[in-house]
Amino acid sequence: MTDRNIIELRGVEKRYGTFLAASGINLDLKEGEFFSLLGPSGCGKTTVLRMIAGFQEPTEGTVLIDGQDMEGVPANNRPTNMVFQSYAIFPHLNVGNNVAYGLRGKAPKAEIEQRVAEALEMVELGGLQDRGASELSGGQRQRVALARALIMRPKVLLLDEPLSALDKKLREQMQFEMRNLQQSLGITFVMVTHDQYEAMTMSDRIGVMFNGRLKQVDTPTTLYARPCDQQVASFIGEMNILPAQLLGETDNMLSIDAAAFGRIEIERNPNVATSSKDMNIGIRPEQLEIAAEKPEDYPSTVQGTVSNVAFYGENIHYHIQVEGAEKPISVSVPNYFHTVDFKRGDAVWLGLQGASVIDLGTDTK
Amino acid sequence: MKRPSTLTAYAFLYLVFLYLPVLFLPLFSFNSGTIVAFPIKGWTLDWYRKLGEQDTLIQALWNSLGVGTVVALLSTAIGLFAARAFVRYRFRGQRAAEGLVMLPLVIPGIIVASSMLVLFLFLGLKPSLLTVVLGHTFLALPFSVSILKSAFDDFDASLEEASYDLGVGVFETFRRVTLPVVSPGIIASMLVTFTVSFDEFVLAFFLSGNQPTLPVYIWSQIRFPAKLPNVLALGSILLLTSVLLLVLAEYFRRRSSASEVR
Repeated sequence: MTDRNIIELRGVEKRYGTFLAASGINLDLKEGEFFSLLGPSGCGKTTVLRMIAGFQEPTEGTVLIDGQDMEGVPANNRPTNMVFQSYAIFPHLNVGNNVAYGLRGKAPKAEIEQRVAEALEMVELGGLQDRGASELSGGQRQRVALARALIMRPKVLLLDEPLSALDKKLREQMQFEMRNLQQSLGITFVMVTHDQYEAMTMSDRIGVMFNGRLKQVDTPTTLYARPCDQQVASFIGEMNILPAQLLGETDNMLSIDAAAFGRIEIERNPNVATSSKDMNIGIRPEQLEIAAEKPEDYPSTVQGTVSNVAFYGENIHYHIQVEGAEKPISVSVPNYFHTVDFKRGDAVWLGLQGASVIDLGTDTK
Repeated sequence: MKRPSTLTAYAFLYLVFLYLPVLFLPLFSFNSGTIVAFPIKGWTLDWYRKLGEQDTLIQALWNSLGVGTVVALLSTAIGLFAARAFVRYRFRGQRAAEGLVMLPLVIPGIIVASSMLVLFLFLGLKPSLLTVVLGHTFLALPFSVSILKSAFDDFDASLEEASYDLGVGVFETFRRVTLPVVSPGIIASMLVTFTVSFDEFVLAFFLSGNQPTLPVYIWSQIRFPAKLPNVLALGSILLLTSVLLLVLAEYFRRRSSASEVR
């Protein structure tokens, strides 16, 4: 990744009649970066991608690719290529002709053959040039779509939900493969996805969108630890959101009264602001200690009752009803030699450390 | 499960009522007697043999084939653009436009025919094969538009976008992606519109002037009782070709839907 901006969106807005599909989008993407636009369906992430590709023109604002203003430049003259959600494999062409499609008439035949072979090799479909489009499996279609786009040597590769049509096993394998491919090619990838795990495992940075607005742009770890509001906090991973009272503050610490958990010192989250005494805090389910006896070494402990148990294999989720809390608190414990094993109705203790509590403040900064 | 036998009987009778009269046509075309009535006198292929000797008939056949071919090309070409626009875009007046295209299906042929004759004469166009072509294209358009619309319905719009995205322009994309993908629909449309034109009588009767198409020629021959068996032979051949063409068209139409399903 370099420091050079390859894509710049400046105050981009897309309006359909009175409906704002995207608005106030400001975004700088670095050369060689793997960037994901993450959000629930209908949040405008695909609209942003299609404005970069040139299938839609913004109603306001500017799209710059490699420093060039893209206004009025149609999709076929932009240095971007796209992998479509449906893969859009041309049904009347075989694999080789699908991949060669964009080069036909623009390079000598021998060179095209050569590049097609290389591109197919790259996506591990070497030698499948003559395979018909209808004979491909879902995973192979995805690879053909990738090869067909990458053979054009784009400055930016756009991916619209590229893994949503694949089954879980294949999806996880492709996540790593695509990440490796991106790293070795050094091309900027911009991916649209609604799957937070996909975004987190593959991306250098993630932009989270809700209702046409870009809420937060950060690395996966920062998004997870320092979300800018409750919406982002609960969309990225699971989060217990609890009300709290602000008691006192210093430059980077807050002293709060976290209802049932009592008084705790927590770190200030630079992505939010706290403008009143009533604020919110977030606690990740895996950051809570659960034990039969009152745990030592925790500044805050609370007693509760197990109201639900869900076994996930690698970990176990408990819902703990705590006195004074509206909703049960989610706790997730790694399934490690079955050191913990509680049943519904068991009385348990929860332990919490200040460092595990996320300050969600009152407003987004 | 017990079948509702009265329904089966009804359906059977319905089909007999619908198709039995049609089957009399080929039956009597093999009758050696000139009177079209039972009992059948004997079996002969004479009526078919004599068809080839009639120059006016051959001329009418060529007229019909020529008109049908031009109509198939014209209405399919126009229908292709209309169908793509109807399926791909949402525009003001779309429903009205689609309704207008389908209108020839419900307007009585005699009305269309007489008003077209008036219009063409007003424009200074003498009744000829040209006016028949224009009339038949108008009549065939609803068929080509509806067949091609269903071909475009099954056509994933991102295929065209993928082509633009790979640096290929609008016209090139139409030629390299749109046309090949909808080609089964195009073939189906050409076969059906050809058949529509080939079998059409009323418009051709009004607009053909002294260049009769085959159905107009048949009409002129029916007045002569002695030639009736001959007409029956000709009619049987037309019947068979029409059915074959439509079956073929349906095959292509289904292929156009199936190719996208995978």
